[in-house]
Amino acid sequence: MRKLFLLTIAAVAFMLQANAGGFQVGLQGQRQTGMGLIGTGYLTGPSAVFFNPGGMSFLQGQYSFSLGISPIVSTVAFQYEEPSLYEAQTDNPVSLPFSLYGAGKINEKLSVGLGVYTPYGSSTVWGDNWRGRHIVQDISLMAIYFQPTISYKITETLGIGAGFIYAYGDVELNKGFPLQNQNGEEGQINVNGSTANYGFNAGLYFQPSETFSLGVTYRSEIMMEVEGGDATFSVPSSLATMFPETNKFNADLPMPASVNVGAAYGVSDQLTLALDVNYVFWSTYESLDFDFEENTASLQDLSQPKNYNDGAIYHIGAEYLFDETWTFRAGFYYDSPVVPDDYYAPETPDAVKLGYTAGLSFSPNRNLSVDASFLFVQGLERDVNYKPENFGGTYKYFGFVPGIGINYQF
Amino acid sequence: MKDIMYKLFLFFSAAWLFVACEPEIEDFEPKAGDADFSSYVAVGNSLTAGMANNELYKSGQEHSFPSMLAAQFATAGGGAFKQPLMTDEAGFGSRFILGMSTDCLGSTGLAPAPFPGEPSPENFASIAEQGPFNNMGVPGAKSFHLLAEGYGQANPYFGRFASSQSASVLGDAMQAAPTFFTAWIGSNDVLNYAYRGGEADSVTPQPLFQQAMGGILQTLTSGGAQGVVATIPDITVIPFFTTVPYNPVTLDETQAQQLNAAYADYNAGADQMGVDYITFSAGANPMVIEDEDLAPIGGIRQIKEGELVLLTLPQDSLKCAGWGTQKPVPAQYVLDEEEIQEITSATVAFNSIIKDYADQFGLALVDVAAVMQEASDESGLRYDGVGYNVEFVTGGLFSLDGVHLTGQGYAIIANEFIHAINDTYGASVPTVSVTEYPGVQFP
Repeated sequence: MRKLFLLTIAAVAFMLQANAGGFQVGLQGQRQTGMGLIGTGYLTGPSAVFFNPGGMSFLQGQYSFSLGISPIVSTVAFQYEEPSLYEAQTDNPVSLPFSLYGAGKINEKLSVGLGVYTPYGSSTVWGDNWRGRHIVQDISLMAIYFQPTISYKITETLGIGAGFIYAYGDVELNKGFPLQNQNGEEGQINVNGSTANYGFNAGLYFQPSETFSLGVTYRSEIMMEVEGGDATFSVPSSLATMFPETNKFNADLPMPASVNVGAAYGVSDQLTLALDVNYVFWSTYESLDFDFEENTASLQDLSQPKNYNDGAIYHIGAEYLFDETWTFRAGFYYDSPVVPDDYYAPETPDAVKLGYTAGLSFSPNRNLSVDASFLFVQGLERDVNYKPENFGGTYKYFGFVPGIGINYQF
Repeated sequence: MKDIMYKLFLFFSAAWLFVACEPEIEDFEPKAGDADFSSYVAVGNSLTAGMANNELYKSGQEHSFPSMLAAQFATAGGGAFKQPLMTDEAGFGSRFILGMSTDCLGSTGLAPAPFPGEPSPENFASIAEQGPFNNMGVPGAKSFHLLAEGYGQANPYFGRFASSQSASVLGDAMQAAPTFFTAWIGSNDVLNYAYRGGEADSVTPQPLFQQAMGGILQTLTSGGAQGVVATIPDITVIPFFTTVPYNPVTLDETQAQQLNAAYADYNAGADQMGVDYITFSAGANPMVIEDEDLAPIGGIRQIKEGELVLLTLPQDSLKCAGWGTQKPVPAQYVLDEEEIQEITSATVAFNSIIKDYADQFGLALVDVAAVMQEASDESGLRYDGVGYNVEFVTGGLFSLDGVHLTGQGYAIIANEFIHAINDTYGASVPTVSVTEYPGVQFP
């Protein structure tokens, strides 16, 4: 039904997917977040720039804009492997994924758009003195994607689209360095660097009827190649020549490719059900290698094996149009772990994650909507070890993501 | 609009209620199992006392492995644990710290140096009235010393807390009425000889070791106590014996030829006796050492690969006084093949006796020898992201004397004891956090 579709669009999007596998964040639109982070096969507004560029040419208004933020409040609890009484918990700062989209029609067939969003990012703070400090004290990863996009409506039911991605990434890591001074205080390593690279996001959107739609997209891998990042070593002064205080490093961090397939079906005028499956090629992340510019007899390059597996995320969601003003959403997803049991390092929470979502939109008129969403991610308890460093225990993750955004079209 | 704001407010309020909850993991519950930790007593030598950096001092004692064990036992019904603490960080005054020193060639580097503090006279005064003590580790003690009455008169480390002039270590240990004990003893039965390059003291004869060990365990278990025994590491994994290479002398071609000429007479004699020549070449060369078996040709020879040089060999004598080239290195700094053989076979025999007694008395066994062997492998040991091996200073396990462990080294040993106790007695004693303790500390 046309009316449903219009309202859906009016509610346009911000999504965030909270920490879907590894350090990926899946929150790129509020409407999608509300219904289980679904969007590949279900068009809800200019967030199609991210979710499915093929659907962008199906947007109703001449111009559409959306903007949203999704603060992530997350905590990881840790219990050292038995027998031990050692416990720890992260004190993560609230991270602020955001998304900003605009799309406009050039003609009936052709649309252009731009998205600025943060598909990867995490900030994990275990503290300077916790027991796993020699692996990580704190780490923050952030990537911002700028994506100009073009979409073409091949037929009345089929659209294709693609976006060029300019990705900017920033990473900072602190870890304890096990060299004590004569007060028993340990050294520290700080590495930080930023980089930029390119990729693409392409999709097909098929809408054979008003009640049924399908989508498939592919997002390319983007390798974040940090070159000449700063590596700072704090060590006792007698060892300063062995560990030059200011060093440089190169390191590669992959933002993996994904294939995404989704569908939506309007059960009634008011109720739409939708599904999404993401397959993320995390197996590209085999190791994190720090190549230091200046090596000494004591300072060799570092290689941390990761051996990630590919991961799949299964989403289900529903949207209910209560009236012309109010829309309600709910959803659920299942996110499979990508980090093997023996390579689980505390820098990134990973587990079977169950995501429960809810959302609503308020549309005071046909052009505007305010969208709110809420996501609770429950990481199931995991007994794991980072074997290369012999550090393991039980981890449990909770994430809370309230989000708010607005959509405007005319 | 007000209504809407209200609804949004409610939505987010409900959402934030969730935010307040945090992930929780079920707590680990310590259990004593079949063991009774209410009165734990440790007997042994310096490794039990908590010696580190060539001295027994307060913070070192606080980081002794029995002290760590006692703190973990306390979570599973363990009682108070009293140690005969020194009053300060200087102990009897022989402590090392790492400092910068300049050698005879004028090059400056890190090396063990005397600890700057003066020992308090209180460290030498008797604290017997504070007893009985739970940590009965006595630096320098051999197996049979624990049974010797009046041993405090021979060993001031025991003298300062012996209950009387005629007390024995074991007798005083029994005053604490142990329900649980650790007995890690036997290292000095080979080490006191090895420290002296095999030129003084002696390896304890096996029958004496067997008898002493039996007597110790008989006494400790006489009141129904349970406990743990531990093996002793081979000297080839101890940095005191492995840090100085057999061939530390680097020569150029001219120097080598001059030395070869100087040893021409020796080599003529060696020919007659049918022993190896002394020869030098450009590069690293084996040292010339004393060997009394070769008295007819001057009582010297070149050291063989595999023979061990002690950490105490004065480096300046080597670098600037012609030791190892023009002059032989005195025998007290070298363990030759025969001495190593004697020490190694005794170590193997003692460990086999210890293992047999563990079976016989139904005690838990910690194979420290095996742990140290593993630490000496190329990959070493690794705990919580920190690597450990048996290298001097850089390895992190051994303190600056090259024989005793660092706090972290003792923590690794404490965890081995805990695993053995848990396995044998069905207990769940929590492990300690290795990296919490002092390692080698750099200026």
